[in-house]
Amino acid sequence: MDLLWLVPAAPLVGFLILFVLHDYLPKVVAAVVGAGSVGVSALAALLVGMDYYEAGAEPTWQLLWTWMSVAGFDPAIRLYLDGLSLAMTGVITGVGFLIHVYATGYMWNDHEEPEGFARFFAYMNLFVFAMLMLVLGDNLLVLFLGWEGVGLCSYLLIGFYHRDPANGYAARKAFVVTRVGDTFMALGLFLMFRELGTIEIQESLTLASEQWSGGDTMALVIGLLLLGGAVGKSAQVPLQTWLPDAMAGPTPVSALIHAATMVTAGVYLIARMHDIFLISPEAQLAVAVVGLVTLFIASFTALVQTDIKRVLAFSTMSQIGYMFFALGVGAWSAAIFHLMTHAFFKALLFLSAGSVILALHHEQDIFKMGGLWRKLPIPFASMLIGSICLAALPFTSGFFSKDVIMLTAFEHASHGLVFWGGAAIAAFMTALYTTRMMIIVFFGEERSEAHDESRLNMWGPLLVLCALSLLGGWFGFGVVAGVLPDGGLGEFSHFSAVALVTMAMPFLGILVGYLVFGRNIIDPEALAASKAGNALKRFFFGGWGFDWLYDNAVVRPVMWVARINKGDIVDWIYRITVAVTRGAHHVGSLTQSGRLRWYAANMAFGLAVFFLIVLGVIG
Amino acid sequence: MPVAVPIEHVLALAGLLFLLGLIGVLVRRNVMFLLMSLEVMMNAAGLAFVAAGARWAAPDGQIMFMFILALAAAEVAVALGIVVQLARRFESLDVDNADEMYG
Repeated sequence: MDLLWLVPAAPLVGFLILFVLHDYLPKVVAAVVGAGSVGVSALAALLVGMDYYEAGAEPTWQLLWTWMSVAGFDPAIRLYLDGLSLAMTGVITGVGFLIHVYATGYMWNDHEEPEGFARFFAYMNLFVFAMLMLVLGDNLLVLFLGWEGVGLCSYLLIGFYHRDPANGYAARKAFVVTRVGDTFMALGLFLMFRELGTIEIQESLTLASEQWSGGDTMALVIGLLLLGGAVGKSAQVPLQTWLPDAMAGPTPVSALIHAATMVTAGVYLIARMHDIFLISPEAQLAVAVVGLVTLFIASFTALVQTDIKRVLAFSTMSQIGYMFFALGVGAWSAAIFHLMTHAFFKALLFLSAGSVILALHHEQDIFKMGGLWRKLPIPFASMLIGSICLAALPFTSGFFSKDVIMLTAFEHASHGLVFWGGAAIAAFMTALYTTRMMIIVFFGEERSEAHDESRLNMWGPLLVLCALSLLGGWFGFGVVAGVLPDGGLGEFSHFSAVALVTMAMPFLGILVGYLVFGRNIIDPEALAASKAGNALKRFFFGGWGFDWLYDNAVVRPVMWVARINKGDIVDWIYRITVAVTRGAHHVGSLTQSGRLRWYAANMAFGLAVFFLIVLGVIG
Repeated sequence: MPVAVPIEHVLALAGLLFLLGLIGVLVRRNVMFLLMSLEVMMNAAGLAFVAAGARWAAPDGQIMFMFILALAAAEVAVALGIVVQLARRFESLDVDNADEMYG
């Protein structure tokens, strides 16, 4: 029984049904089709996964059809299943299904876009399909197809509330910024094809290992280009600016696309292409540095945000930074493990934040919340669980994955202490901003009215995700073993000094957070009011000036050129051609008098001239 | 035995006829005369063919003349139809009235 094809096919069918019939479907049917198709997909993924492990965890292929066959170049639509793609598929379909179910409740009474219910699920299903093609694809073309497909869906869903131009702007920003990364990645893929002569991923990786075994500039270049693509898609420095703005989309979109799955595509890409990075240690080091810088910058930025979704967005950015960092220091399995646990708890955080936002009638400013824990017990409990996983308290899922990453980083050959130290500070910051968010949102005085209207289809997924977040760490170990070159998660003693400090960091962060934001030992507002504090706060708030930089270095010059070149210089060539043709037409039409005898005279004259030329009299 | 007419004379006559026909086509405005002038031009060409066939003792010239006759008959059949239409529409036989298809 090989149901692998059904995994991407189900959401595709769901998309087609919803897309074609969206005006004619009652909401209930749209909800059943939208969530059900992903449910079928998740079920198929579960069966496929069980088969896979029963059959001895051997990578398998499933050929669907040959895409095209031209002169010996015949890329196939073929699905490839190994531990890595299975882990990704599990996350996409499993977490995706829960988010879809949640979304049926969240979007039900959407007052901004009441007609868009079916459209929303059409896009979501298309996204799941594209994401599955991305992780299951066996050659670079299918990979790229999925890669661009998820980008398109991301664009469509960020701009879902299209009546507000700001959302359209956010969508375009996300699309254009990721496009920069995609260009790098496309170049990387072209280069791989040119150098290795094949687009099959497994074959090209084997070839690469043989050809460039001693390290090679080409491997470095390809590695860096792929990293560029991963950086764009996964919102890492320096292409991270689109992710906070992407929060303009509905909250389930943020949970599915901008937390759990699409933004981890870059992690998947690097893990999938790990041979290239093993050949070229410089490229791998670049991955680690990108990850470390991102997780550092983003965790500081998250500390001063006022929009609950932006806090989570920066948190996502920094957690993906952890994954990149893990890939960079060689903790391959730990990166994928963290990807999974992060998908659980970040989806949980976003969905419970969504419940809070819905209960407050689309209020996202945390300073207008407060004291909500009594009124919104389920969102509070689930957000609390998500937060302790995010802060990586011991025995939650986040702890298992993050601990392995940090301890592997400490053993890094050349930069162990720096890497570990940076990550530890960021872990402290993570706990700090998480505590801040929880205290401001759920404790203190009440600042608004809240009505929890969530039903089973909303709190059900929350409970499942709570369980996954808490317990996911226990069963995640085996999933990626044997696929990536480090052979699973390393074994570390939890009683060494480093391990203890690592473990203590979140507690320290929570303690400081409690003292500052809960007990006001240091008044955060007084701190922010001081001159240096204010400058620092604004610097952090704006995401360390990246937006400002890009606005001035790229957006404004481009807009300026566009403004002065409104008439489009290049277009003049074509306009002149048109003018010449039209003028010649006018001249020519003058000879067309409509008089028969005039034509006859012209013909006779022409013939006479012709004969005279033939006879050699003239010319 | 009749004295053979030199071919130069025949060709000169044919040329003259052709020119007369052409002038007729260009200067006459009555469509009937225009068609008759066309006939004259075609016969001039036919005369040249026949003369050339006689000069080189080849049958081709006369065969060509047959073709020209057939052509002329077909042409007249079509042209008279057009003439009838022209007369109905403009109520005159002046071709210059039918100059609406310009530009």
